[in-house]
Amino acid sequence: MFEVLEGGIQTTVQDYPGRVGYLDLGTYPAGPMDHFAFRVANLLVGNAQGAAALEVTAGGLKARFQDRRAVAITGADMQPTLNGKPVPLWESVGVGPDDMLELKIVRGAGFRAYVAVSGAFDVPEYMGSRATFTVGGFGGFEGRGLKKGDRVLLNRAGAPDRMIGRRLRTNARPQYGSQWEIEAMRGPQADPDYMTAEDMEFFFSHAWKVDRNSNRMGVRLESHKWQWARTSGGVAGGHPSNILDDGYAVWTVNVCGDQPIILVADGPSLGGFICNATLIYASTWKVGQLVPGRDTIRFKEVTIDQATQLAGSVDETIAESSIERG
Amino acid sequence: MPGMHDRNTAVIDVLPATADRPRVMYRYAGDRFLLVEYGEMVLDLTMNFRIFGLNDTVKKAELDGLVETVPALRSILIHYDSRRLPTHMLVDTLKKMEETVPPGENLNIPSRRVELPIAFSDRWTRADIERYVKYTRQDAPNIVNGHNIEYIAQYNGLRSVQAVIDYICATEWWNACIGFWPGLPFMFPLDPRYAIVTPKYNPTRPWTPEGAVGIGGPCVAIYPVQSPGGYQLFGRTIPIFDLKQRNPAFKMNPILLKPADRIQWVPVSDAELESIREKVYDGTYRYKIVAYEALNVKSYLGFLDSIKSEIAAFQQRQAEAVKHVAIP
Repeated sequence: MFEVLEGGIQTTVQDYPGRVGYLDLGTYPAGPMDHFAFRVANLLVGNAQGAAALEVTAGGLKARFQDRRAVAITGADMQPTLNGKPVPLWESVGVGPDDMLELKIVRGAGFRAYVAVSGAFDVPEYMGSRATFTVGGFGGFEGRGLKKGDRVLLNRAGAPDRMIGRRLRTNARPQYGSQWEIEAMRGPQADPDYMTAEDMEFFFSHAWKVDRNSNRMGVRLESHKWQWARTSGGVAGGHPSNILDDGYAVWTVNVCGDQPIILVADGPSLGGFICNATLIYASTWKVGQLVPGRDTIRFKEVTIDQATQLAGSVDETIAESSIERG
Repeated sequence: MPGMHDRNTAVIDVLPATADRPRVMYRYAGDRFLLVEYGEMVLDLTMNFRIFGLNDTVKKAELDGLVETVPALRSILIHYDSRRLPTHMLVDTLKKMEETVPPGENLNIPSRRVELPIAFSDRWTRADIERYVKYTRQDAPNIVNGHNIEYIAQYNGLRSVQAVIDYICATEWWNACIGFWPGLPFMFPLDPRYAIVTPKYNPTRPWTPEGAVGIGGPCVAIYPVQSPGGYQLFGRTIPIFDLKQRNPAFKMNPILLKPADRIQWVPVSDAELESIREKVYDGTYRYKIVAYEALNVKSYLGFLDSIKSEIAAFQQRQAEAVKHVAIP
């Protein structure tokens, strides 16, 4: 049992890779915004990497444990404490009955922390996943963020001692800052048919400010006066960003009129706007740590071969070989 | 075309059009998705039929590394694991499949027939439209006598509200794709003699009741949940999305409709709709779904050919009507 004393800004139960296989029924996968920190948290406490754990957005979570468990907190530094004493990040610690965990509102770099507990959170599977889909109000704990008074079940787990004091090697830990470089690939709708080469050059060189109005559906960037390769969207609409509806790739950059929006975990599955670039498997985790209204992104263009290589190195990092004993 | 490994290209490969099929473009959508796109950007259901032909072929091939496919109007988004199924291999496989996808004439698309009761110009959509007039826009030209249905008549050169109802019920509606929101269908009339069109709301409507049915451009949609919206509303139907899965129709998942379903509207009164909706939720209503049907594209194209002059006549009537109608 995990007793919620304060839910914080937005704390949801997620699993990885989320609700995969329902895009053609209009359902984005949900799951963690930063799969790297999420999976590492599970790895540290001996869970399967995809097991149900908490995503704490912006902080403010306060909760009490009822039994002995291994717990790991990863991601943004929300100065976590256990009974008031600081808890290290990227490292598993032991908790016992009545121990109180607290994560403060995030102030430094990064925006989301992950809390994994040995045995994992026991919420019902919905359409094959335990991830909270905030838009549809399903999955996770009652289809919503946690709030004061919620009592979330934990699965039975063995003696946690073996899983305590495990930490991610320092050189395997991601560095968070406020100026991000995020790898992406051009397309599906870029130059020369939808945007001009200059538009794409601007896209891949500008430092894009992350809009305050960003969430698990979309991360908005600032509007820009694009040149466009077309004068209108033809049958699809008056604006050159309009197209006849296509399925949207998860983590694509959707240009709605003048504004680019990165479609993330709980985004729309299909629509009638172009997507001029798409993030790669190895770079999507960074989006989960962007601080709205403050951070900036430069998109770095990569090829499919580079993307595949980077994907391999991310998965190799999230492995037992990256764990050391404290 | 530029080669696979060149930088700075969104388009991976192109198959030029042939007599049997449109041009095919393969586009990168990151390292986990790929977009297959047919022809030019025109709204053409026969293109959408071919999409379903390709979709079936891809699914049946059971490629190792294929995760899922998302058919849309003229494209399929393919979700795959590029480490198990390298992009160039996937593209090569897809290109070969173009030779095996049956051409339109021989295409049989598995398609369920779904009968849905609808209360036209119902009190629920009426209430939200009234709120729109009160709080959002008083002089919206698309609201006539408290509803959008009379405007739909004016915009399409139809004499009465009853004529709009007759038109909507005279054709089956093809669910070309589902998306944007879980379970939301994008439907087009299979009989173009009844292809009504409308512009969208301006500004959009902050409220729409769950189950509301509306039209934007040529596309009819059902709102799966209460939400904002921009389509001109003409009625309300029964739930097509139920989180709590209270009816056997939602046993597998909370989403009723599938891509390639054909929807037939059956008019009912407000009171009848209310009673059916109650039976949906107490689990006793049986949705009227005929599975195991198919749409034979050859006979469909023959049908289109036989009604050519009537389609043209209606389009001409619409074009004339639009001249006298204000746009929102």
